[in-house]
Amino acid sequence: MRFPLLWLRNLLPLLVVSGNAFAQSPTIGYVKTVGNDAYLVLGQDSVSAQAGMPIQEGHILKTGNTSGMGVVLKDNTTLSLGANTELAVRDFLYMPGKDSLKLELGLIKGTLYYISGVIAKLRPDAVAVKTPTGLIGVRGTQFLVLVDPEDVK
Amino acid sequence: MSAQSPFSLRAGALSLVLAALSGCTLPKSYVVLINNDDGSTGKVMVTAKEGITELQQAGTGAYIGGADNTPMVVEKQKIAQDFGIALAARPTPLKRFVLYFEASGSTLTADAQAELNRIYEALAERSTPDVSIVGHTDTVGDSLQNEALGLVRAQTVAGLIMGDKLPEERTSIESHGEKNPLIVTADGVDEPRNRRVEVTVR
Repeated sequence: MRFPLLWLRNLLPLLVVSGNAFAQSPTIGYVKTVGNDAYLVLGQDSVSAQAGMPIQEGHILKTGNTSGMGVVLKDNTTLSLGANTELAVRDFLYMPGKDSLKLELGLIKGTLYYISGVIAKLRPDAVAVKTPTGLIGVRGTQFLVLVDPEDVK
Repeated sequence: MSAQSPFSLRAGALSLVLAALSGCTLPKSYVVLINNDDGSTGKVMVTAKEGITELQQAGTGAYIGGADNTPMVVEKQKIAQDFGIALAARPTPLKRFVLYFEASGSTLTADAQAELNRIYEALAERSTPDVSIVGHTDTVGDSLQNEALGLVRAQTVAGLIMGDKLPEERTSIESHGEKNPLIVTADGVDEPRNRRVEVTVR
């Protein structure tokens, strides 16, 4: 039974390559407002954020001392970051026709003004904003959340 | 009592602050529920290892974690101080438009022109708009054909609004066919309000 093993071994490098940060990922939203000290981080890559730039799953949105940044995701979820903030867009699935819906954000530090979108409306349980000390579930609404730097583990 | 306490002190908050003063490290991270644009308020559930706090009133908040998870009133001044930059970074609120079609084809109704003009205005108001265009049909005809017809309608609208301000890569075009009616009807019903394209300008 050598064949299946061989097949697996040949496939493995492909899986690794397609899983890296440079793989072409679908656009899940766009930067709309931004100060001059804000970044989109993907793996080891960091680019200065500009209005109109696409957001992908896996991006960490990052702001410096004075800048905010506003983004809108494809389900209309609107995320506005304050200064000194890091927000990870961990999971975004938006295929209402296939009932495939998920939004998971991680507020690593800083402040976020969250306005819920279609995913929270169709499937509230599929939305979570995680912080170092807990998680926030959403039922169609707007909220503000601050993660204090001292709470960062 | 500390004047810098982030919350108006209610019974619950007091014990939390006392615990903090006594040397336990309690989370300072917190959530505040605020009103939706239309004045309604949703709900937020804050889950930490100590339990779940539910917020249902605008202007109330909760620490994320800690011994006490009673909702507390958060003063406007505190909100402005902590969230001023985040609130100011909010993108222009999205706008929704609906364009209606004549029966069984991709001819816009006469009224659609005014709505198109409003779409052009919304595009002009934004520096880097992105747009979702979703085509719909009534239930006349079979569902596969309607899926195709919905797409033709969406493409018709895309052709009218794409341009320098709205490049193709920031335009999403799809069809829900007859599956997502505005007015639910039996099969085979000619319903003008279901023959439409919905446009969201973000």
